[in-house]
Amino acid sequence: MAALLRGLRVGGTLRRFGSVVAAPTPTNPRCCNSLKCGFHRAAVRLQDDSKSDKPSSSSSTTYHEHYQAHSADQDAAAASSGAAASEPAAEEASRPNTSYQDQSGEHGEEYETEEQLQARILTAALEFVPQHGWSMEAIAAGAETLGLSSASTGMFYNGAGDLVLHFIAQCNSQLTDILAEQHNQVQLGQAEPKETAEFLRDAVETRLRMYIPYVETWPQAMSILLLPHNIPDSLKHLSTLVDDIWYYAGDRSTDMNWYTKRAALTGIFNTTELVMVQDSSPDFQDTWNFLDNRIQDVVNMASTAKQVQSTGEAVVQGLMGAALKNLTGANQRR
Amino acid sequence: MQRAAHFALYDWTHILSSSTARQCLKCRAAPLQLSSRGYSVLPPPRDSEEKAMLDRILRVDHAGEYGANRIYAGQMAVLGRSQIGPLIQDMWDQEKKHLGKFNEILAENRVRPTALLPLWNIAGYLLGASTALLGKEGAMACTVAVEESISEHYNSQIRALMEKDPDRYIELLKVIKEFRDDEMEHHDTGLEHDAETVPGYWLLKNVIQLGCKAAIYASERV
Repeated sequence: MAALLRGLRVGGTLRRFGSVVAAPTPTNPRCCNSLKCGFHRAAVRLQDDSKSDKPSSSSSTTYHEHYQAHSADQDAAAASSGAAASEPAAEEASRPNTSYQDQSGEHGEEYETEEQLQARILTAALEFVPQHGWSMEAIAAGAETLGLSSASTGMFYNGAGDLVLHFIAQCNSQLTDILAEQHNQVQLGQAEPKETAEFLRDAVETRLRMYIPYVETWPQAMSILLLPHNIPDSLKHLSTLVDDIWYYAGDRSTDMNWYTKRAALTGIFNTTELVMVQDSSPDFQDTWNFLDNRIQDVVNMASTAKQVQSTGEAVVQGLMGAALKNLTGANQRR
Repeated sequence: MQRAAHFALYDWTHILSSSTARQCLKCRAAPLQLSSRGYSVLPPPRDSEEKAMLDRILRVDHAGEYGANRIYAGQMAVLGRSQIGPLIQDMWDQEKKHLGKFNEILAENRVRPTALLPLWNIAGYLLGASTALLGKEGAMACTVAVEESISEHYNSQIRALMEKDPDRYIELLKVIKEFRDDEMEHHDTGLEHDAETVPGYWLLKNVIQLGCKAAIYASERV
C-alpha cells in the first residue's frame, strides 16, 4: 500500500514533468503505443535512475500503476519524454538482438516483448541459482548481468516460482528438440529405432541430467513447485513432458492406454527425480539403476496384463464355448 | 489494490501458460506423418486456442463413434442371430470405419481421447443390449434416437467450422459431412424398420437423446 502511494507520487511527478515539456513526442514513433513498450522504457530509464539513487521500488509501482490506469499512451509518452536524453544510448545497449516476431503483432520487428525480456532475465538468473538458490536474489543478479536495475524483479509476481517454471519449460523444450532430432535421424535411416523401454530410459535420463548443475538446490525448487499457486503450471509442464516422451516413443493409442501409459511414466519420472536429489553415487549411477528397474517393472506389468487378458479370454471361451453349450443343449435353434 | 494484484497475477499466468503453450506448440507444429497420405485432415493449428477447439471437436466425435460402436455391439449380442442381424451388422461395420478414421486423426494430431471411454464402453453396450431386448423395434428406436442426436451434433460442428473458416477446415468438414450423411442414413433405415411402433417410443427416444446430450457435454470437457 505504501509502495503504491510512493508510486503514485512518482507517477504524479512524471506527469508534471511531461506537461512541462511541450507536446512530448516519442523518440520512437513506431512502437510507443502500448503498455509493454511503456514498461520496457521505464525499466531502461531506471537503469540510469538507479545510478542516480531514485527509490528502487518505483519500477514495480510504476508498472502497477500503468496496469491499473490503462492509459498506456500518456504514461509511455511521459516516461519516454523523461528519458529522452539518455534513451538512445541506453536503448542501444539493452536492445536485444532478437528477430522473434511477437505473435500479438503490436510491436515493430526489433522490439522485444515483455515476455521475451522476462525470459532473458530468468535465463540469466539461472547461473546465480547455485549461489543464491531459487529466489528473488538470483533473479536480481540475473537482471543486473543484463544491465537492468535489480528493481526489475518487481515484474515477477510469482518470484522464485517464475524462475523454476521458466527453467522447467526450458528443459522441456530442450528435450523435445533432442527427441525430434533423434526421430529425424531414424526417419533418414541414419540411426536405429530404439526399443520402447530403452527409449523411455534414455529420454528420462537426458531430461534428469539437465538438473545436475542445480541438484544441490533442487529440493528447494521442488518444494516451490508444490506450492498451491504453482501446482497447475507445474502439472501442465509435467503432462506436456510425459506426452512428448510417449509421442516420440511411438505411442499412438487412443483409448485408456493413453492414460495408463502417461500415468506410469509420470510415476517413473517423479520417483527417479526424488532418488536423484539424494543420490551421492558417482555420476548418479544409483539413480540410473533405479530408473532401469522402474522401467523394467512397468514393462513386466504390461506383459503380465496382456497374459491376464488372454487367460481371461480363454476362460470365457471355455465357459461360453461350444462344449458347454452343447452339453446343456443351449445350442439348439428354436 | 488486491484486485489489481489479482488481475496482474492472472495476466502473468496467462502469459506464462500461453508462452509455454506456444513453445510446446512450436515443437508440435509438425506432427509425425504416419499415414500414407502426404497431408493431414487438420490444418496445423495457428495458436493454442485453435488447437483446443479442434481437440474438443475431435475428442467428442471420437467418443461418439466409440459409443455408437458399443451400442451396435450390444444390439448384435441380443439380436445377432435374428432376422435383423445382418442389417445391424452392416450399420455396425460402417461405425467401425468411422471409429477407425477418428483413431487415425487423433493419433496424428496428438489429441487426448476422453477419459470417460470406459464409461461409454459399458453404457453403450448396456443401452444397445437393453433396447434390443425390447425386440427389433426397440433396437431400431434406439438407433433412430442415437443417430438423430449424432447427426444434430455433427451439424452443429459443421456450422461452427463453416462460421469460422470454411477454407481452412475443408478436409475436416468433408470428413464430418460424410459421416453425418452416413448417420442420417442409419436414422432413416431405423425408421423404415418400424422403429416408431415400439411402445413408449416417444419416451424412449427422448430419454436416449437426453443421455446422448449429456454424454456429448461430458466428453467435450473431460
